[in-house]
Amino acid sequence: MNLGEGGAAHRNLRLAVCPVERQATKSDRLLLTCLLLFTAAASAQENPFTTPQDVEQGRRLFQTHCSYCHGSRGEGGRGADLTNGQYRMGGSAAQLYRTIRYGMPGSEMPAVRASDDDVWRMVAFVQKIGSAGLEERATGDTAAGKAAYEKKGKCSTCHSIGKEGGTLGPELTDVGRRRGVNYLEESLVKPEAVVPINSRAIRVATNSGQTIIGIRLNEDDLSIQLRDTSDSLRSFLKANIKEIRRDQPSLMPAYGSIFSAKELSDLVAYLSSLRGAQ
Amino acid sequence: MNMNRNWTFLLAAAIGVPSATPLSGQNLPVTYERLKNSTREPGNWLMYSGDYNSWRFSRLDRINTQNVSRLHVKWLFQGRHEEKFETTPLVVDGIMYLTRPENEIHALDAETGRVLWVYRYRNPPRTYNCCGRVNRGLAILGNRLFMNTLDMHVVAVDAKSGRELWKTRMHDYTAAGGYAATGAPMALKDRVIVGMAGGERGVSGFLDAYDAATGKHLWRFNTIPQPGEPNFGTWAGDSWKTGGASTWNSGAYDPELNLVYWGTSNPWPDYNGDFRAGDNLYSCSVIALDGDTGKLKWYYQFTPHDLHDWDATQIPVLLDGEFRGQRRKLMAWANRNGFYYLLDRATGEFLVGKNFVKQTWMKEFDDKGRPIVIPGNEPTPEGIDSVWPGTDGGANWMSHSYSPLTKLLYVFAREERRVFTKDAVRHPTTGADESDRPAGRPIFARRAPRFAPEESWGKVTAIDPPSGAIKWEHKVVSPPWGGVMATAGGLVFGGTFEGVVFALDARTGQRLWHFSGNDKVYASPISFLAGGKQFVSLPVGDVLITFGLD
Repeated sequence: MNLGEGGAAHRNLRLAVCPVERQATKSDRLLLTCLLLFTAAASAQENPFTTPQDVEQGRRLFQTHCSYCHGSRGEGGRGADLTNGQYRMGGSAAQLYRTIRYGMPGSEMPAVRASDDDVWRMVAFVQKIGSAGLEERATGDTAAGKAAYEKKGKCSTCHSIGKEGGTLGPELTDVGRRRGVNYLEESLVKPEAVVPINSRAIRVATNSGQTIIGIRLNEDDLSIQLRDTSDSLRSFLKANIKEIRRDQPSLMPAYGSIFSAKELSDLVAYLSSLRGAQ
Repeated sequence: MNMNRNWTFLLAAAIGVPSATPLSGQNLPVTYERLKNSTREPGNWLMYSGDYNSWRFSRLDRINTQNVSRLHVKWLFQGRHEEKFETTPLVVDGIMYLTRPENEIHALDAETGRVLWVYRYRNPPRTYNCCGRVNRGLAILGNRLFMNTLDMHVVAVDAKSGRELWKTRMHDYTAAGGYAATGAPMALKDRVIVGMAGGERGVSGFLDAYDAATGKHLWRFNTIPQPGEPNFGTWAGDSWKTGGASTWNSGAYDPELNLVYWGTSNPWPDYNGDFRAGDNLYSCSVIALDGDTGKLKWYYQFTPHDLHDWDATQIPVLLDGEFRGQRRKLMAWANRNGFYYLLDRATGEFLVGKNFVKQTWMKEFDDKGRPIVIPGNEPTPEGIDSVWPGTDGGANWMSHSYSPLTKLLYVFAREERRVFTKDAVRHPTTGADESDRPAGRPIFARRAPRFAPEESWGKVTAIDPPSGAIKWEHKVVSPPWGGVMATAGGLVFGGTFEGVVFALDARTGQRLWHFSGNDKVYASPISFLAGGKQFVSLPVGDVLITFGLD
């Protein structure tokens, strides 16, 4: 194991280095000891760069190093959604530092080429977007917002909370933890403003005269796969397609003209209250 | 551009169907004479680009436009590795040699894919490759295979047994920001030519030659002029010490001129040129070196004082033909900066330049072929998103192909833009900035973020070499990371980023055959004979897929 040079984090993490080649009879116990030591050392490491200025620098660095795979706001795409606060290699500052610094073995996640300080700043930003809504409180009526979500908005047709609801739109189980109030408002009023790569809408017109609208799931030069508005998985050979339109990337209606200002405020309050499993 | 339309090419060898290669009794050694005349052995693939001209053209025509629809998988080689599989195999009389990440050589029966022997080189845990622990292939001369390693060694391995014969260190791989070697060597005469990588790490580039028999170092050409050498003053201050200009891909060779042609990478730091004012020679250039001495015969710089990471590490394609009424030795080059170039390869004279993808940065060429740049395309601290092509360029390291039958150059091109961001970069020797790294240790320039896949695409482009005119384009979903190979069967093979392996009609660009590999292609195809049958091989994901007819 090589933990690289420089940086306070490295010096602490180096304490956790363990030999990796031992007799099989001792390997399990040794591995467990190593993991515990590493976890303790990693968990103990704090991010020295957490000021608002650091987070803003981290946001810019994220655009440079991470946005192609993880989306401009960390919403995911080719890479994992980083807004849900769940990370394969752990979500502590030191664990995220290590993931960014050295990459993720067995995945396409590479080691990021940046100074140690800048890696810490990216950690600060990732932790921020993983809990963007935690410190915010919306002012609307949560109960009224829930009613608007379920009845007038019919939001569960496309979105799910827990195991209930549709799968055409992004899951909202913990959207209140992941997204701030302003983002939630913008999503309701101008849903096309930010559409995650994995939720982009397309319209497929077939040679036989059908038009199918749905969310693009995959595509190559031969075929395209989507989830249509009735929640069915569809695949089309491009040889059978007359046109694919991508100019309206969101299927969600703009609720600014559907809800009153109070209803919008209530709905934002309800969405902001969705914090997922505690 | 005034172009002479009376364009003809000399073919080094007649196009024809070769006799079947024997199934056993491999015909070693592979002499320099065989390498020079590799076009006479169309059943073999004796060097990275197929021949010294780097045409990546197969003279086999058993798979052709009439029967390619029946092409199907014959065998697989399971790479079982998470790294990008960028190798171009060699094939010598029914035996395939390929590199698998990181630095393994596998010898296979080319008809069945069964492994004959494996050579494993063990790198240290940490190496300093910028873009993956990859390797692109081998060279062969005599009975020896040659491979570059991530920790900056050249190794020679016995082609019959896989036994290591010698190992020579090129450079301290930990020096400066870190060196690595990932490209395929090129063998000629009694020597092997090797390049190195590290343009993103503040290294000082070079191209080396080693004795094929012993591994003894023969010559080094420093791609950044040293004090007292011509063009030393093209780097401000002491920025030349860490200027990059690496040589991380492979090259081409003209035996008649005894000139080695090789492309060089970006200057360092990539996106911030503040402390490296000047043209930064010989970065982003093609250099022509005497094969015996390594002395510079000429150079041409595609992108002076590059600020966009537009390496000129594409494979040079050598052509002979008439230009403006004169028979010329020519070089065709589709560059990462988005322009196609035609040069005189005896003198380096600039002849033609024309963009083959969308570009925003150049107004025109002057009489000497120097680009007149449009202001406002430089990276900014806030990021600029209006520059075409992007940092991965209109072309990158992947091979182009030239067909003497269609007289077209095929380029698997990338259409995309990026955000170019200029960040503060510490001076490499004074070391003054906010970084916590030790003084003198370079930090890395920022890479540019990419846009969503829907906002970019790829295309196989057929270019008329004398004019640079585009004859046809075949569009694909994503910018590619694979190269192409034309064949005497009238086909152009390649693979997309989604893993669609395709064969196009070389005259029209129409897709005649495809296979859904469903993983990323990071390599260029080859074709060969085994058991009297023609095969086409291409890595898709971590699997080398070999196609053939019944």
